[in-house]
Amino acid sequence: MGLLDKLDTIAATRETLLPEGINPFDVVIEEIHSATEGTIDGHRVVLAGTNNYLGLTFHPSCIEAARETLLSEGTGTTGSRMANGTFSGHSALEKELAIFYDCSSAIVFSTGFVTNLGAISSLAGPGDVIVLDADSHASIYDACRMSGAEMIRFRHNNMVDLEKKLSRLGPKCKNTLIIAEGIYSMLGDCAPLVEIAALKRKYGAWLMVDEAHSMGVLGEHGRGLAEAVGVEKDVDFTVGTFSKSLGSIGGYCVSNHRKLDLIRYISRSYVFTASPSPATISSVREALKVISAEPQLRIKLWENVDQLYRGLERLGFELGSDPSPIVAIRVPTKENALFAWKAILDKGIYVNLVFPPAAPAGLSLLRCSISAAHTPEQINFILKTFADLKPMMTDAI
Amino acid sequence: MTTLQYDAIFQQIEALLLEYAQLQVPIQDDTDLINDLGFDSLKLMEMLEEVEDIFDITYPLNDLSNLHTVKDFVLQIQQIVGGE
Ligand SMILES: Cc1ncc(COP(=O)(O)O)c(C=O)c1O
Repeated sequence: MGLLDKLDTIAATRETLLPEGINPFDVVIEEIHSATEGTIDGHRVVLAGTNNYLGLTFHPSCIEAARETLLSEGTGTTGSRMANGTFSGHSALEKELAIFYDCSSAIVFSTGFVTNLGAISSLAGPGDVIVLDADSHASIYDACRMSGAEMIRFRHNNMVDLEKKLSRLGPKCKNTLIIAEGIYSMLGDCAPLVEIAALKRKYGAWLMVDEAHSMGVLGEHGRGLAEAVGVEKDVDFTVGTFSKSLGSIGGYCVSNHRKLDLIRYISRSYVFTASPSPATISSVREALKVISAEPQLRIKLWENVDQLYRGLERLGFELGSDPSPIVAIRVPTKENALFAWKAILDKGIYVNLVFPPAAPAGLSLLRCSISAAHTPEQINFILKTFADLKPMMTDAI
Repeated sequence: MTTLQYDAIFQQIEALLLEYAQLQVPIQDDTDLINDLGFDSLKLMEMLEEVEDIFDITYPLNDLSNLHTVKDFVLQIQQIVGGE
């Protein structure tokens, strides 16, 4: 068997999965007009699947901050954080993140994905145990594998299963890192963090929460689910991304354990990859200020969530979770998902199409993410379109 | 670990594999979970959850990289049961 033969299977799967003319995984946004509008295939569409929860990609002060830095510091750092890639902006952002989270230490990485790779694989190693939620993001799974730690999965949000697994570990719990997410990226459901924190305390384990989709969305200050449910003190490590609410790219890990700082020296994805560009860092610093200074964005986001969620509920759709900025519609088959996705796009709305294994539990999903920047009219348009296409989305093909 | 225990585990696993694979084929020591029984990652995870319940064990995901045949599976379960 030759090196590339295995790709034939992929090609065959793609053929059966993607009838001619429909390839949801090859979408090009030809023009981007705003946080909620773009041009795809020559047509202007409403973007309802971009994780741009606060709409900050087009916030004037974030753009201005990035523009100024672009002109003064150039297009890139051309080096890793460990070598020549730490500019004063990177250090300042770490201090600001630590203040934002009221934590002693913060580290900035190049993306959320490599944050997980670097942080998890440095914090846990051979002889340690990681207990992760079954629906964890791919970056968490990959990081666990890289770490060399024993890797134990608990059923999604199932506290009975988590407790069973912790209780079996006995004294190993003091070397055990539990990992959960604030809001799960596919179904939009939250982790039962109060219960997880209680189990963490009971068994003396450590806790990491990935707030990728909940930072800027939940909590009085927008710090995420741990803040919203009052368990920040129990969270040993918070990780997150700049690529969603903060409207940019990059990632972070914050903690009150001062030793966190030492993982800079051993995180391969910190040492061996270039740091975010100076302009990127400036836009993130500004976005962090906006999150604090403009809490009305969060209020607007939740009003929009409410409008879409209640509307879809009234239309009788089966939704993935309680209200959240990720609204996932469960559809009966892959074919339903595919044809409906295309029909929705043709009517002028972009949503995410998610198949298993990216979607959990064998589900096919049409996943919307809502932004504070959506207007009530855009959300009504989404609701009307979904109402028109409902049979395609709900009657099994 | 005695042969009897191996056989006892084998029998339980056999029924479970057939149920998940939805196939009527003979299950032998060298039956391959992916190539012969058509398991994909999703089905495998679902079956592992049931195995954890039946034997009251934790199956570490690290063991997946050494799981190919039915014999691998039975031996892994035997070892976990023995170790807990
Ligand atoms: C839970 C979770 N963690 C990490 C990431 C990775 O973030 P980034 O896009 O910054 O690499 C994502 C994004 O998809 C995510 O959903």
